[in-house]
Amino acid sequence: MVILEVDNVVKSFGGLRALQDVSLSVAKGEIRAVIGPNGAGKSTFFNVMTGLLSPDSGNVVFNGERITGMPPHRIIRKGIGRSFQITNIFPRMSVFENVQVALFSHHGKNRNPLSLARKFREIGEEALSILEQVGLADKYDASASILSHGDQKRLEIAISLASRPALLLLDEPTAGMSRFESRETVALLQKISREQGLTLVFTEHDMDIVFGISERITVLQQGAVIADGTPAEIKANPQVRKAYLGEEITE
Amino acid sequence: MDLSFLTVQVLSALRQAAFLFLISSGLTLVFGVLNILNFAHGALYMLGAYFIYWLTLYLVGPGGFLLALLAAPLGVALIAAVLEMGLLRRIYIQEEIYQLLLTYALVLIIDDLAKIVFGPEFKSVPKPDFVSGSVTLFGGTVPVYTLLVVVLAPAVAALLWYLLYKTKTGKVVRATSSDREMADALGINMSALFTLVFAFGAILAGLGGALAGPVRTVFPGVGTEVIIECFVVVVIGGLGNLWGALIGSILIGALETIGIIVFPEFEMALIYLLMVAVLVVRPWGLFGRPLKIKALSEKNLEMEAQEISPVHFSVHPAVRWAPLLLLLLVPLVAGRFYQYLLTQIFVASLMAIAFNLLLGMTGLLSFGQAAFFGVGAYAVGLLVTKAGFGTLPALLLSPAVAAAAAAVIGFFCVRLSGVHFAMLTLAFGQLIYAVVFKWYGFTGGDNGIQGIPVKPIAVAGLAGIDIGSTKEMYYFVLVVVGLSVEILRRIRSSPFGATLKSIRENGQRASYLGVNVKLYQWTAFVVAGAFTGLAGGLYALMEKSISPEIIHWTKSAEPVLMTIIGGIYTFVGPAVGAVVYIILNSYLVAWTEKWALVLGLVLLTLVLLLPGGVVGFVNEKARQIFGKLRCIRRWSFSKSTTS
Repeated sequence: MVILEVDNVVKSFGGLRALQDVSLSVAKGEIRAVIGPNGAGKSTFFNVMTGLLSPDSGNVVFNGERITGMPPHRIIRKGIGRSFQITNIFPRMSVFENVQVALFSHHGKNRNPLSLARKFREIGEEALSILEQVGLADKYDASASILSHGDQKRLEIAISLASRPALLLLDEPTAGMSRFESRETVALLQKISREQGLTLVFTEHDMDIVFGISERITVLQQGAVIADGTPAEIKANPQVRKAYLGEEITE
Repeated sequence: MDLSFLTVQVLSALRQAAFLFLISSGLTLVFGVLNILNFAHGALYMLGAYFIYWLTLYLVGPGGFLLALLAAPLGVALIAAVLEMGLLRRIYIQEEIYQLLLTYALVLIIDDLAKIVFGPEFKSVPKPDFVSGSVTLFGGTVPVYTLLVVVLAPAVAALLWYLLYKTKTGKVVRATSSDREMADALGINMSALFTLVFAFGAILAGLGGALAGPVRTVFPGVGTEVIIECFVVVVIGGLGNLWGALIGSILIGALETIGIIVFPEFEMALIYLLMVAVLVVRPWGLFGRPLKIKALSEKNLEMEAQEISPVHFSVHPAVRWAPLLLLLLVPLVAGRFYQYLLTQIFVASLMAIAFNLLLGMTGLLSFGQAAFFGVGAYAVGLLVTKAGFGTLPALLLSPAVAAAAAAVIGFFCVRLSGVHFAMLTLAFGQLIYAVVFKWYGFTGGDNGIQGIPVKPIAVAGLAGIDIGSTKEMYYFVLVVVGLSVEILRRIRSSPFGATLKSIRENGQRASYLGVNVKLYQWTAFVVAGAFTGLAGGLYALMEKSISPEIIHWTKSAEPVLMTIIGGIYTFVGPAVGAVVYIILNSYLVAWTEKWALVLGLVLLTLVLLLPGGVVGFVNEKARQIFGKLRCIRRWSFSKSTTS
């Protein structure tokens, strides 16, 4: 079953064509990597899918519903989560509050937010269990601003998970992490995807991770899709080899 | 309409535009480079006017006047450079509001110092003979001085254009204005550049003041009138845009001239109406562009982390209710003066706490809260005196009327952020002020409403409770404010409050939680407006007379000051600030006239040394001490926020 369908998306900035006819189809439960050299349009693509940018033409369909051009908060409520390339958290709130506020938003979707007041304890426990999942439970009362970079990245994943998305878009989830931290984070993402049937679409520069966990890979170059297939197919693709000449993909 | 009339009016409009451009070009230049909206720019204008007044006492003749015209702006620039290097420079890293407040503190200080040095009376500079005559143009009589001003302003504009576009320093200034980080990365000496631009902006303000000296009078506080006009000009034109300032000046100059002829009653309201209209259609002004939102990585997170420690401790309910009990006992021991003083403090506290729902919780600096205070007060005043309402029904309607006003105004304001939001709320506030001030038939105009009767409150058909006396009014206000504050406290610790906080911290991320950021901001604006209106209603009852002064923008500054004094990120902070503010006000005014000076110095000290306010400081110390003693209850997640 297809959960995300992107059809011929075009986006230009002035004269620069950042995305030209980009199409993508992701099955439910799949782990999909979107790779490409710097400036290939990966972040623009993510911004178009989550409503930060409106495409010039083309369509984004999620769970059979057209979400093109919707504002981010509505897209998120359809069941898409997102983490950012540059860490994006609530700095002057505690780790716990960061997740708690995400849960408030999730549970308050269709109701009066004030009516949640009685459910504080339940939501608190849910927040703690999410923090345990990402390994931050022991730091729950620290200020988010004083966490290490790796921990902030993990906190952001926790925030994204709190809205119980069916599809999680991760923009370089391991950027700036140590090797050990990234391995842990990747294992965590794989585990969550398996256990909850969560679909993951992520960008990444580390090819070990890309080929290690993804089920399919989409390659972007200069705003266009040049290849789409299983890791083995991508490795064998001469066009991709050419685009990545000299990078790890040649092994 | 004949030609001579037209000539006179056009030149009069141009003269006004010329003054506005001289002053506001400096304001917009400083904003473009330093990202600071300088409240003290009007005070610098005033200094320019005082300096020429003082200089022309000694320098006589045409040469002397021209020399003074040159020297006065330079003197102002010198003072500005010292202020920038000594004060402003220390807080560039902090949030906008602190920079805005620092310049506001400077306004208070400079105004009072001017009063001490030059005296409180109006001064005027005699026009030197060689420009005191008038000439006939197309049959109309035009003063020579008007021509001088009208010629000089374009000359300054041309000079500015030359400096900015043809000199190396000018190019650096423009580069910095369009991308500060990039300019920094290129190795431009930022501190020197900032001082230079700030001083240059001051020269323009000083020149405006010096030129205005002979045609307008100068007095302490004249700057607060000038600065608001200039805010309107630069906001209409687009903050930081020089051509915007030029077009804005011409528009406002023309509108003021037309207004005086066609709508003499509502001339003041017209310019705010224009500003509102422009911002509704083009939120960033005619030539402006959206401000870059600071990325988290650019903010000084460590400093912010110090301001607000996330270690939560909840206060035992008994501790919360004890002060209330004490306040109930006060009238038994304290006299009427203290009862009245405390009643004032209650009303101010309610206004400040409601205001902080916007500033501290949501991160929105509203500079128009006096409008809602005024709407609430006038609702009570008009309903009681004109419609014969009882005390309680009128009071209960005051938050509703204020909320309705806030709903409309908020709809437009929440589309903006930061300084633009502050300016649009200010414009709406001044618009309401201008209307109330002139609408004699309905609001009583500048006379206000006198002798508002306070009828006994009927309870369940009984004879009713009389709240006419100071003591009874004390209890009445205490109960109403107490209940309101409790509601606000609950809002703060509700999921709604937590969501507002997340919007303050990171609006973009909040929208990626599925939060409709604008809707939440609008709701917060309406709630704050409603409680501010209730405070206004109480004020009308306790004072029994109201005047448009309570809607003026300087009144809007009060809750801002109280919040900063008490502590922006705490719930009780604004109330503590209200206590300090009202007590300082009533005692200082009693034994010194230098109230503004003291307030300015207090504000300056707080902004520079205690950005967390009094309560923030006490909380921090308490955490350190009790944390060591392990006295703080481990935070339980049934509570989401601190007190």
